[in-house]
Amino acid sequence: MAYFLEGLRQALKILFPPSREVLEIVGLSLFVSASATALAAVFAAPLGVFLSLVEFRGRRLVIGLLQTALAVPAVLIGLVVYILVSRRGLLGFFGLLFTPGAMILAQALLAFPIIAALTLAALKDKARDGRDLAYALGASRGRMLLTILRQGRFAFLAAMVAGFSRVLGETGMTLMVGGNIKGATRVMTTAISLETMKGNFEIGIALGLVLLVVALIVNVVLQWGQGK
Amino acid sequence: MRIEAREITKKAGGRFLLRRVSMEIPAGGVSVVIGPNGAGKTTLLRILGMLDRPTAGRMVYDGGAADGLGVRGRTALRRRLGFVFQHPLLLNGTVLANMRHALALRKRPFEEERVEAALAAVGLAGKKGLDVRVLSGGEKQRLQLARAMLLDPEVLLADEPTSNLDPLSTRYIEDQLLALARAGKTIILATHNIVQARLLGGRLIFLNDGEIVQSGTPGQVLRNPATLDVAHFSSSTNVLNGRLIRTGEDACLEAGGAAIHVVTELAPGLVTAVLRPEDIILSREPFHSSARNILSGVVEAVDDLGMVVLVRVRCEGLLLGAAITRSSLQELDVRPGEPAVLTFKASAVLVFPV
Repeated sequence: MAYFLEGLRQALKILFPPSREVLEIVGLSLFVSASATALAAVFAAPLGVFLSLVEFRGRRLVIGLLQTALAVPAVLIGLVVYILVSRRGLLGFFGLLFTPGAMILAQALLAFPIIAALTLAALKDKARDGRDLAYALGASRGRMLLTILRQGRFAFLAAMVAGFSRVLGETGMTLMVGGNIKGATRVMTTAISLETMKGNFEIGIALGLVLLVVALIVNVVLQWGQGK
Repeated sequence: MRIEAREITKKAGGRFLLRRVSMEIPAGGVSVVIGPNGAGKTTLLRILGMLDRPTAGRMVYDGGAADGLGVRGRTALRRRLGFVFQHPLLLNGTVLANMRHALALRKRPFEEERVEAALAAVGLAGKKGLDVRVLSGGEKQRLQLARAMLLDPEVLLADEPTSNLDPLSTRYIEDQLLALARAGKTIILATHNIVQARLLGGRLIFLNDGEIVQSGTPGQVLRNPATLDVAHFSSSTNVLNGRLIRTGEDACLEAGGAAIHVVTELAPGLVTAVLRPEDIILSREPFHSSARNILSGVVEAVDDLGMVVLVRVRCEGLLLGAAITRSSLQELDVRPGEPAVLTFKASAVLVFPV
């Protein structure tokens, strides 16, 4: 217990005031995960709306695939992205391997099914009700979609928060495609993993505290939004 | 706007919700789609209101077919139709925000007086600032109607707007529908409430199991129901299960140990008959009349229904209810346990095959 308390003391020292290195790591983490969430949401949220609105042949299949994708291990996504962006890969010419770009791509793939499935689950009948409401008032198709967006805005927010939380805490896959390069691709989780193995608990504890605070803030904002 | 449905069929999940429904709704006036739960009323109204497409068949509005229209054409058509859903669909936010949203959807300017007038017409004048989540079910439904009226559609489709509402809210909605009809709008109302259908008048379209069973004025349909289901809607008090032992001029029905004269061309066998309580005359002594059925029995119960009193009389194995006015009850002074006589015409008994 004593060494934990000592680690905590050291951790607080690192955080107040924060070192340049810690700031960089936290900043990159938030940037990569927020970008990945946004990138995934651009495709996943419309898919969720589409699936809740439109009856078509194969709809059940698509929903089934989406649910299966939820269970795909992150490390497998890491492997696929690694192969894609490695020099001989399909996207090799971008030179993305061991860059934040590769990390964003992998995290976006991880967040995609989460955001799509949660949007679908949260909207359920809401999207159809929104369509009925707008069409009954003579809305154009564009205005109808805006009405659904308005009615479902907290559903989208909740889905994005869940996706963001998942990718922010993701370690193994991010390490595979990012490489945990100091000053370039080192993020909170990969740093915690590395420093803990090196026996430097204080950095691990410090970054762990930051992760907890970020998770707390994000969820408080969500709760506040839903209560309004 | 004149609306025609031509052989409309709607299938969902391998089940027929509507089967070749054809009808014509003239411009102006009230048309009431009536029928039991699950008859297809909502499905039909949604198709008439351009919220759903039929699986087969064609919708025609003012002579123009809707099935060939593109997105713009459908939107233009929808703008002439208003829809009030059975379960109010409202936007999260205040009463006023809902009215604003309706106008914004149509890119119309916000005119305070018109919004106030529409809310006042349904008794929501003082509730502008309330969040819709704190409104009662009746207030939500009234708000939905006010919002539809704000856009001034030519046709208003209302899907069971007053089911589950208190009498005050029901009254507001019925009054508004009547006012709209008087102003020349076309009202299409779905309901399973025969009293409401009679109140709003117009044409009755009886739907059952996805098919139109009968249509006409409420009086025609109620006096001469085409099927047992329709008859059940006019009265569920005196439903007799029995056997038709003779048919033709001297037709006779045996039910509960009593022989009842009826008028029917049905072949002898098991039948169900319906007798409206209003068609039975209650007396203390038998009297001479042209009515062929005179049954003696004992009063079992006297139920006060408000406008009328239902006197239930046991005749052999039959329990028949006769509806009489309150003043008749005072004059006759019948009480439970006392003898009474029921008189009714053979033609008042409606006989249906089982």
